Amino acid sequence: MAEASVTIEHLSKRYKIGAARQDYATLRERIAGAFRRDEERVKETTLWALRDVSFEIAQGEAIGIIGHNGAGKSTLLKILSRITEPTEGQAILRGRVASLLEVGTGFHPELTGRENIYLNGAILGMTRSEIRRNFDAIVAFSEVERFLDTPVKRYSSGMFVRLAFAVAAHLTPEILIVDEVLAVGDIEFQRRCLGRMNEVARSGRTVMFVSHNLPSIESLCPRSVLLSGGRVARDGPTKEVLASYLAQGTGTAAIDVRTLIHHGNGRARITAVYVLEIDSETPLDVLEFRKAFRVRIEYEADENIPDASFGFGLVTRSAQRVFITESYELGKTYDLQPGRGAIDCIIRAPNVLPGAYAFELWISDVPGVSAADHVPMAGAIEITVSGEEPNLALLTSGMRGFVQVPGDWSQIVEMPM
Amino acid sequence: MSHSRTLVLKPTSGWRAIDFAEIWAYRELMAIFAWRDLKVRYRQTLLGAVWVMGQPIVSMLIFTLLFRRVAQLRVSTEVPYPVFVLAGLVIWNFVAGAINRSGNSLIGASHLISKVYFPRLVVPLSNVVTDLVDFALAAMLLIPLMAWYRVTPGLEIVLLPLAVLLATIFALGAGLWVAALNIEYRDVRIVVPWIVQIAMYATPVVYPLSALPERYRLVAMFNPMAGIVETFRATLFGTPFPRWPLAWSVVTSVVLLVSGAFYFRRVERRFADLL
Repeated sequence: MAEASVTIEHLSKRYKIGAARQDYATLRERIAGAFRRDEERVKETTLWALRDVSFEIAQGEAIGIIGHNGAGKSTLLKILSRITEPTEGQAILRGRVASLLEVGTGFHPELTGRENIYLNGAILGMTRSEIRRNFDAIVAFSEVERFLDTPVKRYSSGMFVRLAFAVAAHLTPEILIVDEVLAVGDIEFQRRCLGRMNEVARSGRTVMFVSHNLPSIESLCPRSVLLSGGRVARDGPTKEVLASYLAQGTGTAAIDVRTLIHHGNGRARITAVYVLEIDSETPLDVLEFRKAFRVRIEYEADENIPDASFGFGLVTRSAQRVFITESYELGKTYDLQPGRGAIDCIIRAPNVLPGAYAFELWISDVPGVSAADHVPMAGAIEITVSGEEPNLALLTSGMRGFVQVPGDWSQIVEMPM
Repeated sequence: MSHSRTLVLKPTSGWRAIDFAEIWAYRELMAIFAWRDLKVRYRQTLLGAVWVMGQPIVSMLIFTLLFRRVAQLRVSTEVPYPVFVLAGLVIWNFVAGAINRSGNSLIGASHLISKVYFPRLVVPLSNVVTDLVDFALAAMLLIPLMAWYRVTPGLEIVLLPLAVLLATIFALGAGLWVAALNIEYRDVRIVVPWIVQIAMYATPVVYPLSALPERYRLVAMFNPMAGIVETFRATLFGTPFPRWPLAWSVVTSVVLLVSGAFYFRRVERRFADLL
């Protein structure tokens, strides 16, 4: 058997979170800490983002990496792109590596398109002569010839993305690591990007491809690896791996929120949350676009709260609220008795565009005035689309806001010349 | 198939050597970072140049006015005071600016550091290159001013690049320390510019070392910048070299650069996790 292009052996990555980091966040505290007794130090919490991951990729193979948020995909890519070091294990990469964790990395808005091609190319690891050799091809691919000498801050987002992808598409490493970059541009451009990725894969280069865009993984990668909780959950033909990914309840039915950050006066506290199908107790951690879902909030109260209101809010990765729903605004408050309980909320027609989101939860003891408990980051929600969705490429373009709202369009007047 | 290179990624710990070959391999990236910063700074050509050249001129006028007219201090300098102070300010601004900017450079490049691999040393290095260009422009101001006051440089002027090299070594060494500390400890960013600002008055920038009373002079010489500023002026004006301060500056600058580079390499692996 030929030597593998990428060999990953028992790769693990541990992050120290919370206490440990804050303990030394400032030099002053660090100096003060040196004089502190050991038992006063806060115990550090660790999180294994990646645990004992092993697999091989043959030379010329295109492999898809899938998994829910927090499954370890980004950590794996970051290690393979040399952005961070593993804590244990090793990865052997045989050949020149280029990684694309984001299109347009390092683009400078004040510089022109032409200048940015050189800048971005250099950042991605191309030599100047390589860029010069590929310059015309890059420009042709991007279709921004006319604006080459315009600062990119004046570009439309579509032009920007096309130029950025064009540079990236002309990298010629032996191993290419790609994260989510196809979720950009219009349909036509996406098709060309996919075509280009296909060419790269067919030309004998090794491609590792991470995406939430399942159809493109399916069309590009014969084999996939499913990560779950930092471990390899499944490794095999993409069709089978995707099936188990979609079927996966991942066993994380309940999200225990007690250890997360809470605000509020504490008269009642949220203890756990479930995201479920509307008509069964099946937990979901991938939501299908436009499909209704149910949120179950478990709480405990120390005293009687006669008019409690519950709230749920969807938040983007950049912490912007997409929407909230609060029970008292809809005329519903609940009389909480000391003890424990659970509340369900069905969210219908959630036309939120595919992508990765987080959600927040709260209980209000005096609605509109004070919060008994507020968990700003209660959990993650991922919304995906199936391959049958007609406007798939558009929905994942990343520049359509967060919600799909069908407008009722009609022409009221037309004045022919 | 033979591979151009095989890369093994595994945990490392402790002190690491500086990989000069790798930095050399990334020289184009370094050049392009410097080029980008200069391009952006001088895009509005007038504004960029006005800032780089105007700042030392204004400071020179202020100090000349302050020392000569307001305080009426008698500092005896071997060349007319405006020339003397401009030379001091130009070299000081270079070092101070380089320390402050390379100190912040990693934070400024955090979006790159969390997305792409390259030797992280490239970032502060390219910053110093940018600062050297700014310095060269500001130093041009000395030519008309020296001509006006009829200060002619001696043969020592050939040593000027060495004086600048010494200043660069010091600035880069201090910059590496600050850059690395800055990632680990958030308060460094606030403290360093303040220290740098105060240090200017503890350094013979607007006064000559010889103006200090004997008992303070020895203390002042422990500041490595004293030797650097005085040496720069000595090469420029052909005045005597400050022998001991210079020797001290050379030693401290080299120590600072070597230790800074090693410290930087030691904490470099954690940058992406901390940013």
